Amino acid sequence: MTLNPLPWSSFRLEGCTLTGGLSVTTEVTDGVTIIHGPAGCSQHNASLIHATLLDHDTPHLLRIHSSDLDEVGVIFGGEGALAACIREAAAGDPSAIFVLSTCVVQTIGDDVGGVCRRDWGVPVISIPSSGFLGGGFQDGMRNALIALGDLAGDRVEREGGITLVGEKNLEDDVEENFREVSRLLALLGEKVRLRFVRGIRGADIPEISRGRLNILREPELRAVGESFAARFGTPYLDSFPVGLSGSLRFIGETAGFLGVDPAGALEEERAFQDEALAGFEDLRGERISIGPSSGDTADPFAIELVSSLGLLLSEDGVPLPLPSPPPVGTGGLVRLLHRWRRVLHA
Amino acid sequence: MPDCTAPLWPCGMTGAVACLAGIPDLAVVIHGSSGCFFYPQSLLPVPLFSTFIHEREVIFGSLDRFAEVLGSIPPSYRRVAVVTTCVPAIVGEEIREVLPESAILLDSPGFAGQMEVGYGRALAALDPGIDHEEKGVNIAGLNLLDPFTSGNLLEAGRLLSLAGATAGTRIPQDPLDRISRCGTMTVSVNPDLPPGTGEVAGSLLGLIDIEETFSLLGDRIPGVDISPVLAETSRAEERIQRAADKYLKRFDPPRAVVFGGFAYATFAADTLKRYLDADILMVGSRNGLRASPFPAREMVQIGEISGFLSGEKPDLVIGSSFERSAWPGAAFVGLTPPLRGRVLLRSRSLAGIEGTLSFMEEALNACMDRRRKIRG
Repeated sequence: MTLNPLPWSSFRLEGCTLTGGLSVTTEVTDGVTIIHGPAGCSQHNASLIHATLLDHDTPHLLRIHSSDLDEVGVIFGGEGALAACIREAAAGDPSAIFVLSTCVVQTIGDDVGGVCRRDWGVPVISIPSSGFLGGGFQDGMRNALIALGDLAGDRVEREGGITLVGEKNLEDDVEENFREVSRLLALLGEKVRLRFVRGIRGADIPEISRGRLNILREPELRAVGESFAARFGTPYLDSFPVGLSGSLRFIGETAGFLGVDPAGALEEERAFQDEALAGFEDLRGERISIGPSSGDTADPFAIELVSSLGLLLSEDGVPLPLPSPPPVGTGGLVRLLHRWRRVLHA
Repeated sequence: MPDCTAPLWPCGMTGAVACLAGIPDLAVVIHGSSGCFFYPQSLLPVPLFSTFIHEREVIFGSLDRFAEVLGSIPPSYRRVAVVTTCVPAIVGEEIREVLPESAILLDSPGFAGQMEVGYGRALAALDPGIDHEEKGVNIAGLNLLDPFTSGNLLEAGRLLSLAGATAGTRIPQDPLDRISRCGTMTVSVNPDLPPGTGEVAGSLLGLIDIEETFSLLGDRIPGVDISPVLAETSRAEERIQRAADKYLKRFDPPRAVVFGGFAYATFAADTLKRYLDADILMVGSRNGLRASPFPAREMVQIGEISGFLSGEKPDLVIGSSFERSAWPGAAFVGLTPPLRGRVLLRSRSLAGIEGTLSFMEEALNACMDRRRKIRG
């Protein structure tokens, strides 16, 4: 049971644009991100993202700066504090400086774009964000991805390979999901050439224009896919694979974009799925209940999984957790089944 | 040039919420967005409420939203405390009219200062009162953000019991009616957080302070027998000295830096100096300075801290997971939040006799592990 009294309406729970933007910009490892606002906003976010890095066993320090807006800045404006912060960050010769604004800055009406457009000697990119006043986490992430795409310029030199766009850098299993997608792509003889944006350098950003196919982490990023399609002519698949049949469909659709025959890859994956599910035969016949991971109806991937395993859906069955977002690929389902087994056998 | 790198100490809003959330019959409502809610909720092991305001409430007002949130608070909470975040504080909407008369309304936006500012404002709003009939000794300095709080509380209670004293009000981690009836004497597990009421007998950080604090309690409270506590501090002292001697027979004293709240950091530095003859290169305080026998500076920005560590190359770092990441080659002991990347389930103390033993155990083991690693 959770004691945490959260409201039902999920739009209130999304977090702010700042965290979404930061989850992207901090993955440009030689860039600097400035949070224009009170020091607390930087501390909150730096601490949360730092925790994620440690959980991912990548314990490097984030290059996050703060304009440290205090009560004086709130009253008289914070553009001077932002300029001083950009000046200091630029002295370290980063590949780019990304500026994210807080709700406080939006409220007091600083001209952030104007400060960023000055000649700083390095690219200074104002990412559209205003804390929670600019939307939610997803908006911040979307805006940051599109703004970073703008840094790639307009020249397109197609070289091939797959680009992953908008990996959820703050999710626990981001690396496991990457490995799962890479495994499925390998069945087609393909590789990921760029993770946009995860652990790249500023010089890698133009690579976004060179791949043959962009694969978005989730459909909420379609605006990013459309932006890159219009700009670079790169088609996109709108989601990482979800579910048993979804993983097979992912292989088929990717093969379609790349113009290769998926038959062998599909056969291999079907065999892999059969073997994976055979490891959970002990769950057959268990009475369970599952709710929606998000939205109002139970996720199709979960219904399919339940059916494939011979679990019995029942209102008085043992309630099983469903993660949000849903697990990626067959590998993600296997990890979910271990959690289900723990609950059922606890 | 100013150091604009990310600060490492929470804001005043978080400090206020941490203080108020310790009161079990007080519902704490963060008046702000989900972005401001998630961070304190990720650190504090108690349920928090929030208005989760959206853009439209900033424009059209949040009174309806308040009615909705207040209506969802379970009746087990006797009172409500509302802490305003930055934007509501700037907008200045009058919300008192929709709050119950007994509600605490606390203006503690993040831009007003650091954690201690908010904690202090919140404690003042709780207004802990003295009851001269109350015989218990209060335990102060508790803060849910502090990873040592539950262990410190257990250890302080144990030591008071050992001396035949009664534990009084836990400031601020008791129901409201107890907060208003504190005893006259208080012991502190973290002097950075003054109790705001009564007479402080002293600190429970370090064996010497424990003895002094209990001596004063023995003088002031009839029936208190401090001899069991003194006997235990003597035994603890002997055990630490034996372990430290064994270490110093084989290894040089560590060159150490300590980052944390001033009181905790000074305790750690003093303990390392006393038992290991450590070379204390710096006490980097997160929350201001007082007189210190060690080189001490307020250091809150990660850039300054990273620069100091790479310049001094200490072999023992005491601090938060930020410092551990900034100088991964050193032995590390966690003292300061955030302590991320590790599973922390049990109650660990820093205060009291067990706290000193625990700190030295961790420091010695960390130093020895590092030496073994270097020697291969």
